[in-house]
Amino acid sequence: MSEITENNQTQQNKSEKLWVGLEHYYDDPKFLEMAQKEFLSSPLSSEPDSEFGRREFLKLMGASIALASTSCIRRPANKIVPYVKRPDEVVPGVANYYATSWLDNGQGFGMVIKTREGRPIKAEGLLEHPVNRGGLSARAQAHVLSVYDPDRARGPKKNIVNEKRTNSDSVEVTWEAADKEVIEQLKKGKVRILSGTLASPSTESLISEFSRAFGAKHIVWDNLGADDVKEGQALCYGQEAVPRYRFDKAKTVVSFGADFLGTYLSPVEFTKLFAKSRHAGPLMSQLVVFESLYSLTGANADTRVSVASDQLFASLMGLIHEIVVVNKKSSYAGNAEVQKWLEPYANVAVNNGVSSEIFSQLAQELWKNRGESLIISGGLNIPTKQAVPLQIATNFLNSLLDNDGKTIDVNISPNKTYKGSFKALALLIDEMKNGQVSTLIIHRSNPIYSLPVSSGFQEALNKVGLVIYTGDRNDETGRISNMFLPDHHSLENWGDGEFQKQVYSIQQPTIRPMFNTRAFQDSLLTWMSLGGSKSAAKDWHDYLVNYWKSNIYGQWTKGAKSFEEFWVDVLQRGVMDVSNLSAKRSATSGARPFSLGALKNSKVEAAPPGTKLLMYSKVGMGDGSMANISWIQEFPDPVTKITWDNYLTVSEEFASKNGLKEGSLVEVTANEYVEALPVHIQPGQHSNAVGVAVGYGRRFAGKIASESGEEVSNRSIGQNAFLFAKLENDQWIRSGMTVKVTVIEDKFHPLACTQGHHMLRDKKFEVKDRNIIAHTSLTEFLKNKKAGIHQHGELKSIWPEHKYTGHKWAMVIDSNSCTGCSACVVACQSENNIPAVGKRYVLEGREMHWIRIDRYYRGDPEAPETLYQPMLCQHCDNAPCETVCPVVATSHSSEGLNEMIYNRCVGTRYCSNNCPYKVRRFNWFNYLDHNDTLKLAYNPEVTVRSRGVMEKCTFCVQRIKEAKQTAQDKKVPLADGDIRTACQQSCPADAISFGDNNDKGSQVSQLFNSDRASVVLEELYAKPAIKYLTKIKNPLMAQVSSHQEGGH
Amino acid sequence: MFTRDQLITGNKTLEQITNDICEPVETVPTIKWVALMLGANSTLLIFVSTLIMIIGLGMGLMAVNHPIGWGTDIITFVFWIGIGHAGTLISAILFLFRQKWRTSIARSAEAMTVFAVMTAGIFPLLHTGRPWLGYWLLPYPNQRGPLWINFRSPLLWDVFAVSTYMTVSVVFWYVGMVPDFATLRDRAKNKIRKIAYGALSLGWRGTARNWSHYEMTYLLLAGLSTPLVLSVHTIVSFDFAVSQLPGWHTTIFPPYFVAGAIFSGFGMVVTLMTLVRIGFPKFKDYVTINHMEVMNKIIMTTGLMVGYAYATEFFIAWYSGNPFESFVFINRAFGPYAWSYWIMVTCNVFIPQLFWWKSIRRSIPAMFVISICVNIGMWFERFVIVVTSLHRDFLPANWGDFIFTWADFGVLFGSFGFFLTLFLLYLRLAPAISIAELKPVLNVGRDNNGHDASSGGTHHG
Amino acid sequence: MAKNKKVTVGIWEDEHKLIEAARKTREAGFKIFDAITPYPVHGIEEAMGIKRSWIPYICFSFGILGCTFAVWLTNYVAETEWPINIGGKPLTLWAASPGFMPIIFEVSVLFAALSSVAALLFVACDLPKINPPIIDPALTSHKFAIFVDEADASYNTAKIQQQFKEWGAKETRETEF
Repeated sequence: MSEITENNQTQQNKSEKLWVGLEHYYDDPKFLEMAQKEFLSSPLSSEPDSEFGRREFLKLMGASIALASTSCIRRPANKIVPYVKRPDEVVPGVANYYATSWLDNGQGFGMVIKTREGRPIKAEGLLEHPVNRGGLSARAQAHVLSVYDPDRARGPKKNIVNEKRTNSDSVEVTWEAADKEVIEQLKKGKVRILSGTLASPSTESLISEFSRAFGAKHIVWDNLGADDVKEGQALCYGQEAVPRYRFDKAKTVVSFGADFLGTYLSPVEFTKLFAKSRHAGPLMSQLVVFESLYSLTGANADTRVSVASDQLFASLMGLIHEIVVVNKKSSYAGNAEVQKWLEPYANVAVNNGVSSEIFSQLAQELWKNRGESLIISGGLNIPTKQAVPLQIATNFLNSLLDNDGKTIDVNISPNKTYKGSFKALALLIDEMKNGQVSTLIIHRSNPIYSLPVSSGFQEALNKVGLVIYTGDRNDETGRISNMFLPDHHSLENWGDGEFQKQVYSIQQPTIRPMFNTRAFQDSLLTWMSLGGSKSAAKDWHDYLVNYWKSNIYGQWTKGAKSFEEFWVDVLQRGVMDVSNLSAKRSATSGARPFSLGALKNSKVEAAPPGTKLLMYSKVGMGDGSMANISWIQEFPDPVTKITWDNYLTVSEEFASKNGLKEGSLVEVTANEYVEALPVHIQPGQHSNAVGVAVGYGRRFAGKIASESGEEVSNRSIGQNAFLFAKLENDQWIRSGMTVKVTVIEDKFHPLACTQGHHMLRDKKFEVKDRNIIAHTSLTEFLKNKKAGIHQHGELKSIWPEHKYTGHKWAMVIDSNSCTGCSACVVACQSENNIPAVGKRYVLEGREMHWIRIDRYYRGDPEAPETLYQPMLCQHCDNAPCETVCPVVATSHSSEGLNEMIYNRCVGTRYCSNNCPYKVRRFNWFNYLDHNDTLKLAYNPEVTVRSRGVMEKCTFCVQRIKEAKQTAQDKKVPLADGDIRTACQQSCPADAISFGDNNDKGSQVSQLFNSDRASVVLEELYAKPAIKYLTKIKNPLMAQVSSHQEGGH
Repeated sequence: MFTRDQLITGNKTLEQITNDICEPVETVPTIKWVALMLGANSTLLIFVSTLIMIIGLGMGLMAVNHPIGWGTDIITFVFWIGIGHAGTLISAILFLFRQKWRTSIARSAEAMTVFAVMTAGIFPLLHTGRPWLGYWLLPYPNQRGPLWINFRSPLLWDVFAVSTYMTVSVVFWYVGMVPDFATLRDRAKNKIRKIAYGALSLGWRGTARNWSHYEMTYLLLAGLSTPLVLSVHTIVSFDFAVSQLPGWHTTIFPPYFVAGAIFSGFGMVVTLMTLVRIGFPKFKDYVTINHMEVMNKIIMTTGLMVGYAYATEFFIAWYSGNPFESFVFINRAFGPYAWSYWIMVTCNVFIPQLFWWKSIRRSIPAMFVISICVNIGMWFERFVIVVTSLHRDFLPANWGDFIFTWADFGVLFGSFGFFLTLFLLYLRLAPAISIAELKPVLNVGRDNNGHDASSGGTHHG
Repeated sequence: MAKNKKVTVGIWEDEHKLIEAARKTREAGFKIFDAITPYPVHGIEEAMGIKRSWIPYICFSFGILGCTFAVWLTNYVAETEWPINIGGKPLTLWAASPGFMPIIFEVSVLFAALSSVAALLFVACDLPKINPPIIDPALTSHKFAIFVDEADASYNTAKIQQQFKEWGAKETRETEF
């Protein structure tokens, strides 16, 4: 901050340099021209001392410009404060870390953004943030790249849309011109703002101020919302809320279709909490999943029960019946009424061909662990008609197990990121149809993409005088709105967030706006002032500070310290440090009374027979908002391992019945909508359900999402599954509709799978023979700590081996915590400048990921068990790859690192052939990204590899060096935990530990030498520096999967 | 004493021999030759353009991928190196064993060796990611601080073995030709020929003293080449045997590879010789049907050897009890690439067995077809070893497939263009049969004159 | 190159007569004489009393030299000049050398082969010769010759020619060599 406030004068003089600096930075004339406009034609220059205090703004702009010009730094415009644990000077070549936060539709993250020369290059989880506690999702990692997305809007546009709003032609406009037009329209009133949940207290208050000024209304609608949860809560407890689920407190977790480890509500937070309860030992928790598709949660279940999609509710009721009626447990045991309601579900198990053993055992487990169990359900993949009843039943079971208030928390810090509702949207559409809306501002929401045509949203737009879109690109919605006024990227903008009640996090910009965009909030303020309504704030930043001063500061730390101190503190920590917040959060609130009335009315009329279509969202692609980010497109789905596509997942039975093969094209018809999709055969899926992922089929999202350049059958990557939805009496039918699947004769669409799916069908292959993954059941493990580890004779060396004095880096991966979420894959990609290669080359097996999550199925294809194994360079002491390199391009460091010397490599690929783990990647072509903006995302600490060289995991050697350097400068010994590799840092399950194996005290050496640790392919005596902790499953019926690997 | 078939038919005099053998070099090319040459050149053109594209754009143009790091390039390299063995084998080992019938084919076999090794030499370079840095594989002092090469790497052993073999074969071949160049020089009508062959012959006179040194050196070279030729393919086999990949990590590889090399080498010699006999009918008197038959016998024998090797591999895979090993071999015979395995077995083991029948052994069309089969089979042997072992190794998670691209075909077929161009030029520019070596065995098997026969018989040629 | 000297030459057309003649020439007491044949004629060494070639010694000693060089190079590079941990392989001579055997072998062979060939061409036959006088072009095809050097003590061209004729020479003359 100091540079900015001080010597503005000199910086002003320097500011001419900017253009040089920028030109030097972006050799793109178009951009320059835009940048010119941004400053010359900005209101700032015209009227120096308007109430917006633009002079200061200009000065600060100048300041940052100067900084930009000194060392190509693009520092944000306002006072921002580096992360507290880091030096706050900008030294070229030294990274700065800024705490910030981001809301990824419904999932809140506290983040630390690593910037180099003012460029954000890496997102890390903010350890102190109470929600994600340092964990980050793959999407959050990719968020950094999205700042540099070349297809982002570069300035305001005016769209000349035709009558039908089918196509449009857009012309660039200045902000003034735009504002003039907008304000004219706003004056007419009848303004509506449509947005997703913002979960930003200050923005929300600003919006309400704005609404007061223009008689506007704010409609909140979440594309992937949790309406059913809120409605269920309201009906059962008279309190509309999305609870905070306390997996850390639960011994038995039962999920009915809720993919809480992958995509449901707040997966990263849940994974953190869930991992806490998975410590190998007698207290290890147990996860039972009832689902029809095969979700990441299902893959991690101890017991996974595959049920027909329309039987979810029935199954849950059957479970309740087991407890209440059969076992006569709980206060409702005697209740004749309840019994009457439950009776119909007496023999659900039998009807569904599920072993009734499971129900009875689960019932006992649940009752045994009452108060320490957790029932969760919901998600996009729940048949819509069942969603609310399912929630009610869930709440009922939670209440009678008296989990409510213990593992279900709605009072202390419930979730605040799902405020949207479909009903509100439906109302809005009606209003629009009736011409009651003259101006519609669409913010952080892409209805045209995610609503079916039948919703009538698009025709309704014709009745709206002016449609303003503030998205980040002129996409599906943008191109048919009249005014396209792009908002800043969240890494360019100020903001705050309340992801859970009373957990306030700050959003600092980490880079000065790349393009001629304007913060949505600044737009509102501008229009308000033009509209003549005075606001106290000079600009958005000012507004934010004022808001915090008057609301949050006052509310929490009254008088403790001055607001300035408080503010600096907040910026440094990134999250509001509320005294005794953590204490409060860990407390439990009392149970709420359950109103039986809700249960009484919760009926699900029998669904028509036939296969049902379920929508689901993918861990990587989510709602599709980041479809233009190559990292996301090439992100192997944790379950299917397929990249660059969505597809119809079908069960083996279904496939064989309809003569489908992997990748064969089918015509899917549901809700009168027809779409051609390739087929993926998913073992373990229920034959009654077929699934399709949303988020694909973006038509106007940019080069990557909309025309991949590689041979895809159509213009976009995948197909837009949202269009299968249908509005039916205020309910969006998105899942559970009857589907017709017709084969398009011998037409195939290759699916780019990073892990040959045909392998699991390969009868010649069994994991068992190979002892690749050490895994066992809890019962076995409690008997023998080495259970599941392949035992073999002692291995000896025929020559004296190298000794490692000093550091010896090692890693331990806890297969038991790892859920396979693959966040580490993108973290590594971001840290190490790993290119995405495109669908065609993934098909040819040339993806470049340094760390991959190997997925193995176990057992019969009908109901397979999934085992995940993160696989990266094992840094073997006796590395087979090193011996065979003719030019010594890879050798061993004195600290046990297997080092790859790119510039010495001639590319014989012998090392890769000789690597038993096949973790080396070869640059088949020149993947260097010359794109003027994307190249800014490169990490300067890591060489960008050229064509023809081999590359692989380095254990983040640049981080090791940095940590050692810092320790040296501080004159202190390197402490355990100083070094955190990219994958380790982002792991939501804390499955990865890294450190010095020679330091006996270090966590890693403890684990490395523990009984549970084992090496993959140990017989080869490569002596890897990575060990894996045995995967332990805790299934319901011990005999179902009590098995002993190895031992032979 | 036993009588034997004449090595050279048609009761030639010394002068006739000279005339016959020099004829192709001294007359204008026939249409046949020109046609062949044009064909070879156009194939060569394909080769060159493919190389340019691969070097220009990247290895990604070829089928190699992750996990199959080695593909057509290495396969074809081993294929050509293997072919390059027959020449030295014939000229060196058979020389040591006093097999006089070798003289008629030795020269062309050596030429074939040299050209085959030259062709092979292109591939290891091409297959690297950065061919322009190939010289980094040589141990030369440099100023990049202590920066050397890894003498433990089998690939480096290859570099040494192949380059040594190349050098020695060329020298061996050339030394053999020096006296014949002298002959051409002395017969030369026009000045250019005189100068050219004069230079090539280094002014050879052929005095008795020269000859005694000459023969001694030739003997030494033969003695040196014999272990060399065995070492080369042994070391090439180390590329695989020294790694720890199931299917590669096999101690049987060295002998197995050498046998295979001789097998394929003779296959190629037969192919070429049948063509030479067609191209230059006069040569039929020197490369007689007996010569061909002997070679066919060798093909049959070595065919049985490789067959034995295949069988042993399977036995060991089963006997070792190593699940990875046994899987790889089951996968070879019944996996996705079973077709290549069975092509290999058919061409290498079964088809050569036809040579048990004398009629087939002595039928030119039959042996031509069979020798082609042998070449195909041997290429697929290397394909099976390289691809099927790599595409399914330890961790099923990184199993992959190998799909040919146009570039693979380009380099594979193109390489034949390169080889044939050289060979056809050689047929026109150098005496295709060693004149000086042929004359001493002129009388072998001529029953008119016992003394000659014995003198030919007791002394090598 | 040295200027050509006079020689008396006789030309035969039969291998066996040549050998006879060669023996007789030696028995007649001529010292500095040699034969020219289109191919190695067997028995002529004995007839002329040519000693066994010395080239094997060259071959052997250079082979040893190559071997020593290779052993030194590999061990010096991998153990002294640049001792680097490659795949945990040992650096000590005894443990490392097996890995170097192929290199050592190849280098030895290369040295031995090239040295012997060089010795043959450039020393033993003292080639290359720029257009040496050709006594008779057929001598590289189907004729044989014996010539006696003028430097020989009992050199007398007439006498020699006459003797050659007796021994079955087809033609004789005095010429440059």
